[in-house]
Amino acid sequence: MAIITLPYRYLERLTGTDRQTIIDRVPMIGADIERIEEDHVDVEFFPDRPDLYSPEGVSRAMRGFLGIEEGLPVYPVRPSGITFSVDPGLADIRPFLGSAVIRNVSFDEEAIESLMSLQEALHWAVGRGRGKVAIGVHDLDAVTPPFRYIASPRDRSFVPLDFEQEMTLEEILTDHPKGRDYARLVEDFHRFPLIVDADDRVLSFPPIINGELTRVTTATKNILLDCTGTDRRAVMTAVNIICTALAEAGATIETVTVEGEEMPTLAPAERIVSVEECASLLGLPLSAQEMARLLCRMRFGAEPDGDSRVRILVPCYRADILHDWDVFEDVAIAYGFENFDAALPATATVGEEHPITAIAGAVRSVMIGLGYLEMMPFTLTNERVLYANMQREHLPGTLQVLHPISEEQTLVRTDLLGLLMEMLQANKHRELPQRLFAVGDVVEACATFQKFAAVSIHPAADFSEVYAAADVLCRELSLPYTVVESADPAFLDGRRGDIIVDGRKVGVFGEIHPAVLKAFDLEHPVAAFALDLTAVPGYPAPPGTP
Amino acid sequence: MELTLNEKKLLVALEAVGSADAAALAEKMDARREAVVQYANLAGDRGLVDVEKHVSRRYVPTEEGRAYVGKGLPERQLLESFGETIPMRDLQAHPLAKIAIGWMRKKGWIAIRDGVVQKTGNTAPGSDEAAFARASESGAIADGEGVADLARRGLVEEEETVAYTVSITPRGRQLLAEGLDLQEETGTLTREQILSGAWKDLPLRRYDVGKLPKRAYPGKIHPYQRLIDEMRRVLLDMGFTEMAGGIVQSSFWNFDALFQPQDHPAREMQDTFFLGERWPLPAGYERVSDMHEHGGETSSTGWGGTWSAAKAEQCVLRTHTTSLSIQHLAEHPKPPVKAFCIGRVYRREAIDPTHLAEFEQLEGIVMDEGVNFRHLLGFLKEFYGKMGFEKVRFRPGYFPYTEPSVEPEVYVDGLGWVELGGAGIFRQEVTAPFGIEHPVLAWGLGISRVAMLRLGLRDLRQLYKSDVEWIRETPTYGGRR
Repeated sequence: MAIITLPYRYLERLTGTDRQTIIDRVPMIGADIERIEEDHVDVEFFPDRPDLYSPEGVSRAMRGFLGIEEGLPVYPVRPSGITFSVDPGLADIRPFLGSAVIRNVSFDEEAIESLMSLQEALHWAVGRGRGKVAIGVHDLDAVTPPFRYIASPRDRSFVPLDFEQEMTLEEILTDHPKGRDYARLVEDFHRFPLIVDADDRVLSFPPIINGELTRVTTATKNILLDCTGTDRRAVMTAVNIICTALAEAGATIETVTVEGEEMPTLAPAERIVSVEECASLLGLPLSAQEMARLLCRMRFGAEPDGDSRVRILVPCYRADILHDWDVFEDVAIAYGFENFDAALPATATVGEEHPITAIAGAVRSVMIGLGYLEMMPFTLTNERVLYANMQREHLPGTLQVLHPISEEQTLVRTDLLGLLMEMLQANKHRELPQRLFAVGDVVEACATFQKFAAVSIHPAADFSEVYAAADVLCRELSLPYTVVESADPAFLDGRRGDIIVDGRKVGVFGEIHPAVLKAFDLEHPVAAFALDLTAVPGYPAPPGTP
Repeated sequence: MELTLNEKKLLVALEAVGSADAAALAEKMDARREAVVQYANLAGDRGLVDVEKHVSRRYVPTEEGRAYVGKGLPERQLLESFGETIPMRDLQAHPLAKIAIGWMRKKGWIAIRDGVVQKTGNTAPGSDEAAFARASESGAIADGEGVADLARRGLVEEEETVAYTVSITPRGRQLLAEGLDLQEETGTLTREQILSGAWKDLPLRRYDVGKLPKRAYPGKIHPYQRLIDEMRRVLLDMGFTEMAGGIVQSSFWNFDALFQPQDHPAREMQDTFFLGERWPLPAGYERVSDMHEHGGETSSTGWGGTWSAAKAEQCVLRTHTTSLSIQHLAEHPKPPVKAFCIGRVYRREAIDPTHLAEFEQLEGIVMDEGVNFRHLLGFLKEFYGKMGFEKVRFRPGYFPYTEPSVEPEVYVDGLGWVELGGAGIFRQEVTAPFGIEHPVLAWGLGISRVAMLRLGLRDLRQLYKSDVEWIRETPTYGGRR
């Protein structure tokens, strides 16, 4: 999530209102206040609104929301006459380039830091970690147009930002901190993207690092912006957001001609939306006039187009407007979520429990009658708990998590018994007897289904105790069964039985093998039983699969 | 004053001697010593006897010490194993040499010169040996000269013994003089006694209502499951149908069907548990791919770019139960649909007290002709109200598959406004590919948050790796409503 620092004095000056009004109202345009400090507030904005990732962008939105300045903000652009060429060799590497010239900036240290943090937030939200879009800002007066965006040999060298020595592009990937961070984005290509000026001096090695040559300082007056990437729309979004934010701060924007296309236009996109569709989505009987007025507060250009439609102009920095409903959400925000009258629809429906949870509920009521305590173990577990400690064979359908977060959670459980044994181990210091059960999902070969298991630990826990309990559970679940001697290695030979239903083994009970007790560090006998609940009459088939 | 039979017997036993040790009384009364102490304490509370407790300490040989009993300390044994002199090498072959040579030198019994051990003649037994001899004889010794040395060497250890002397008081004597009824008291009534009516004439033992017997613990549904069941009941009461489904989902159902772009950060392996398995795409998946690329036939532009079928086939542990909601809607595209699900979801998070890699999520959907944003807020108010959160408010939110989106907040005493879950109306990009023509209201919340609030937990792990004691001590009924 993007957390944006908003200095009060700057924000108040840009917005034309006091800090308290802004702090009170900013959550209602869609934001979470993180921290309120002496001289600034840190606010988290949503990933669909990168245009709010700067004080200038926030102020622009708040001026509309608070009724200080409504409607479409207009950003004039004039041509710079600068051209930028794109090497066709980049087509498979990093094909898209967006650019602009930004003149008459006046930076103090704070403003540079603010621009850098906007850049970083955009790299995250729009650029997907610089892969999709990477942004570079340069001191225009340090270089000579025209500029070229080229696919360069990997052994070319220049002085990267924060270094004093020339390094080759390959060296940058291994020796420069930014190079190491982002090497994975380019290292597989035979040639690397590079931006050079008329004198063949390097401005930038996108998406990795700029050159020291064009470093932006407090002395910088004019900026060249480059945005390179793999998605044209995202590249232009980044250009528009940066240009309009700097324009809000007082700079003037000039176009650059990239392969014959003059950019940016900073022009709005037109959309015509239905009044009726908006009214029925929001449950608000708004007129075209009212809708347009609300949209103007959200900085759209908007005017009724007859009674049933509204013609809107979407500001160029609004990357989130994909669909008409995105516009309607802005109508709702401008109307104020707190002003909606909550209501329940009239349609009557009858609720219905799922058969799987009904069976689980029946199991619970039987087991608490037998004096057992319910446990709800994790579904992620490991080889040791599931198989090794239980002396059981690894089941071929066991799912393995590709990138586990810890050694404790590498497998999806196929059974519950080992997890209950682990529970007994964790509760070793608690008073005996302990009788525990669990009912829940297990997964085998992508199929999810429910199993049950129970354990009883105390000095007299034995075969007869669990046989009787297993019999109770099966009878209460209307499950006719037979028992044969079991070969389950988790149990002690001669004291174990398999529960058979329709010729299929669906459960097991008996005394846990002393070696298993030892593996779980237990000192008293444990009697246990387990049941596959798909055997229960009424369990829906087939079990859940992707 | 109602004496128990045992107290009476105790007074009788003391009649002749006046005062006796609890052990002696136990023999006389044919009872365990602990039981006699208990009777005596009871009678003591009534002022009929005095109970005096004597604690004494004595020393008994340890395991090592017992090995020397009757044979003497190792240095003495070794000293006596040779004449006046012995080559060091030979002496070292003795099994006790390791311990004993050092002690012999320390006590000045021997001198070693040129590899030969020579007795000094000054080998009289010390106080430690005398104490050890006494311990050997009687099995235990009181503290005294030499005992501390033995204890330091780990040859004897302290043992605490407690003795009780019980003496009858004048009041006890008076009671005896008045005569005691020593008929046996009846505990549990027998079938015979009940049927014959004999119980009427029996001296029934009276129980002390101030004394709780050993605590019993019932079987119990897990406190968290009870909370889940409470939420299920609320939703069933509100007319919702329950859904259930697989933990393993294809990326298609977990992400793509919900219009989550394929380059969305949630789809990276840092945030989601991916599996090696793949699952074929359902029939009609092209409508989803077209929606991603161009926005289908809606007013949407789509995400642009190229949609990858291979990426959609990758299986994941479901990151939300919304994957079940969209499948339920795809199977039931005609209104009305009101459905809910409470199920486990998975996020690749490092585990700490407030973050787990798996937790329960509750999700509800409503699809019907004419439902709108106000109805969404209405359902949220109703649900949270029934869960005991009377005050609910709404702020704009963001979720990739809803538009508009809402963040509901509930008021909790002592905490203020707490964000609880998220809600919104499914985007048309989500519903259109499945032929769903009416708005779908949806909301979800991580219910472990609610469990923390309701059960007063500081560590979420308690829900899944529970302390038996916690379950035993958490009341089944919390007292709400």
